[in-house]
Amino acid sequence: MLVLGITGMLEVFYYIPTPENAALSVQTISYLVPFGGLIRNLHFWSAQLLLVVTAVHLVRVVFTGSYAPPRRFNYILGLILFVLAILLDFTGYILRWDQGIQWALVVGTNLIRTIPFIGETLYTLLIGGTQPGAATLIRFYAWHLFGLTLAALILMGWHAFRVRRDGGIALPPPSLRTDHERIHRFELVRREVLAMVFTGAALILLSTFIPAPIAAPIKEISASVSDASAPWFFLWVQQMLKWGDPFLWGVAVPLIILTLLALIPYIFPKPAQPELGCWFPKSNRLAQVALGAIVLWVIILTLLALLPKT
Amino acid sequence: MKRAFLLLGSLVLFLSLAIAWWMVAQAPKPVSLTPTLTGQPEYCLTCHAELPEISPSHPVKTFGCVICHGGERLALDKNLAHSTMRGGKNPSDLAVVEQSCGGEKCHNGSAAEMRDHIQRVQTSIQSTYAGAIANVRYTFGAQSDLTAREGTYAVADDHITTTTGLPSLDAFAPTKDKNPAILAFAKNCLDCHINATPRDGLAFNRFTGCAACHTPGPLAMDATVPNQKKNLPGVHKLTTAIPYYQCNTCHNRGNYDLRTMSFVERTDQPTDRLHAYYQPIAQFTRCEYTLDCVDCHTRTEAMGDGDIHSNKMEIQYIQCKTCHGTPTQLPLTKTLTDPNDIAFRQAFLNPAVNLKVGDTVLVTEKGEPLWNTRALPDGTYQMLGKVTKQVFPFKLVMGSSCTQTGEDQSSAYCHKCHSVER
Amino acid sequence: MPEINRRDFLKLATAGLLTASGLMGTGAFLRYLGYSTEPAPKTEFDLGDASNYPAGSRIVVPAIPALIIHAESGFSAISLVCTHLGCTVESKADGFACPCHGSLYAKDGSVVRGPAMKPLRNLSIETNKNGHLILHTD
Repeated sequence: MLVLGITGMLEVFYYIPTPENAALSVQTISYLVPFGGLIRNLHFWSAQLLLVVTAVHLVRVVFTGSYAPPRRFNYILGLILFVLAILLDFTGYILRWDQGIQWALVVGTNLIRTIPFIGETLYTLLIGGTQPGAATLIRFYAWHLFGLTLAALILMGWHAFRVRRDGGIALPPPSLRTDHERIHRFELVRREVLAMVFTGAALILLSTFIPAPIAAPIKEISASVSDASAPWFFLWVQQMLKWGDPFLWGVAVPLIILTLLALIPYIFPKPAQPELGCWFPKSNRLAQVALGAIVLWVIILTLLALLPKT
Repeated sequence: MKRAFLLLGSLVLFLSLAIAWWMVAQAPKPVSLTPTLTGQPEYCLTCHAELPEISPSHPVKTFGCVICHGGERLALDKNLAHSTMRGGKNPSDLAVVEQSCGGEKCHNGSAAEMRDHIQRVQTSIQSTYAGAIANVRYTFGAQSDLTAREGTYAVADDHITTTTGLPSLDAFAPTKDKNPAILAFAKNCLDCHINATPRDGLAFNRFTGCAACHTPGPLAMDATVPNQKKNLPGVHKLTTAIPYYQCNTCHNRGNYDLRTMSFVERTDQPTDRLHAYYQPIAQFTRCEYTLDCVDCHTRTEAMGDGDIHSNKMEIQYIQCKTCHGTPTQLPLTKTLTDPNDIAFRQAFLNPAVNLKVGDTVLVTEKGEPLWNTRALPDGTYQMLGKVTKQVFPFKLVMGSSCTQTGEDQSSAYCHKCHSVER
Repeated sequence: MPEINRRDFLKLATAGLLTASGLMGTGAFLRYLGYSTEPAPKTEFDLGDASNYPAGSRIVVPAIPALIIHAESGFSAISLVCTHLGCTVESKADGFACPCHGSLYAKDGSVVRGPAMKPLRNLSIETNKNGHLILHTD
């Protein structure tokens, strides 16, 4: 997140949020500014890595039963953070304003429209007009830089605070604990710094050799474009949208999945105290299966979407 | 133990940064060009600095690259930079020519200013191939007369200036004709019009669109070289001094066999200009192979007059008498008094021609100045080869021992005495 | 060769590598920010036909900004950029006055009263072959 903040801020020095100049300013950063390509690639890869790590973290939390009370509220905070991360990734993707994002912009905003009663109003609020254009770009820029980021920073602070307030990493209560070792806070900081150093090096190497996606600028918002793939984290939704009603498959089903995830700590049997923090405890098998099913669903749909079209 | 990890970590971090720095130092330094006409920096020259200037009238400092070729001017990644280029290597392909070569002040302007090149070419018979199509369809009963109705693409003309001009042509669609001869014609005989993909072979090598004539391909004259390679490298050049072998990528390549409706390529292997110029069965005079095609054939003949014609005979009109006159008539001439005369604009492009106000040039029946000719004050006449740069003094028919009857101006008539033995 | 035990050597190596990494990062950061997206402003200006600046005239050209003087000896030009902090000075009957901090200059550009310390710059000006005045600000 630190990398994202720093590289993002550096990009603001050169990025121009108007439809005529956005894609060109991204090209300027990628090819003409010294280390601009590195900064942009770092921003892209650390963003995708954040999503992956957050997802893995969610799976870990459920599979070790670490959402049990008193950590249920923190679990919800985490879930909101996950959604914010996805939205940050999506708004950042749109800011490229090139032919690669064109259809994601149109489809994504039109999906909002399909919501009954409030859809049209939400759509107008989101894109700032009657069709995606200059106002939309500025609004997505505002969301990406401030709206979503501020919310994410506040919630992140709260999330970390709650970990400490809830008694640290989930473990069985002291009376039931078999292993009494505690990790000293200096040790935690050392491990954190070590992780940052290694992750930083890996990100730099990745960013040096594999560039972030880029395409030609959007000519006309209605012009036809050959590649109409959704961003990778929405491929599963794109696959579902092939099946029928857009509101059902594009809005309702993802929201249902999100609600299910949010309800895991509340509707499934709580993990037993002695098993807190252990992997695959028997007591919350049902929750694990539910999450496993959801994860499998998303992965299979994503793979299907990646198959070459016949 | 932790210390070792931190050391390892800092080593890895240091190495990754070092590699990043090294890669940035390795990358080619961006070379910027801000052309006068667009005012927007372009970075094409970072990779393409060795490309020669395309022509003296399109200097890169004024035009840049993007104004003709399209493309992403800021990108230094090959795929992105070339992704929005028009027409691939050839922005003059007729599908994209209006965006690349067009414009009021360029080649899509008003006819009065003689800036309507694109419109002329798009309606010209070399592009529409209307004559061949009409003849074949008429011969095989698909249409009732020789007036063209179809061309290689649909085209319309709302400003007809000649008596034989047509308002429009449909696209030639042989599948609706069903006649096997017409279908065979469509399959075998349509690779010689301006926007067609040429046949395989060095002898046929040319581009499409404006470049079909104005961008000379590799020397097709040297037919002793085996002609197997298809995609010969492009040539970054535009010229009005078009050598005969460029015309010969379509013309003089062989014959059509109407019974089998196929093209039979000429089989001789010429090694000099005389034999390369025309195929073995042709009849021609000395000037017809010493000069290049463009020395006589005019702008209107090659690029059209803006009207859609049914047959090349309606547009081709240069004859021997245009330069040599008849026993009773001198060739038409014009003394150039207006410095804005089109003759000066055309002559300007050829450094060998030094045309000045007050010079007298020959002019055709339609008023087109033959700017590479001169009627000198001492009564002699001269032609300069536009490509060969040679000066050819020539004689008139009047006052010579020619036994011509002035009315008979078919080429076969002059050839009877003046044709050359191969 | 002074003795150094392994622990201290490793500590030194780690610190060294981290410092080097930090320097490279800072270097990249500085080079990144040092790029200019705008081309340098032009320094040569075509002021139009010289006859627009008749003999004896003192004409202000606000776009540059400069004062064009057509004296008996020929053309000269004075930059109207205040040498203090860059505001455009106003041309008065007896000299120039800067509205920002009160600097005063005489008619020839020399400083009468501060806070400016240096006189107004003289700019080179010439007539080209088309009879136009060309001003150079570099």
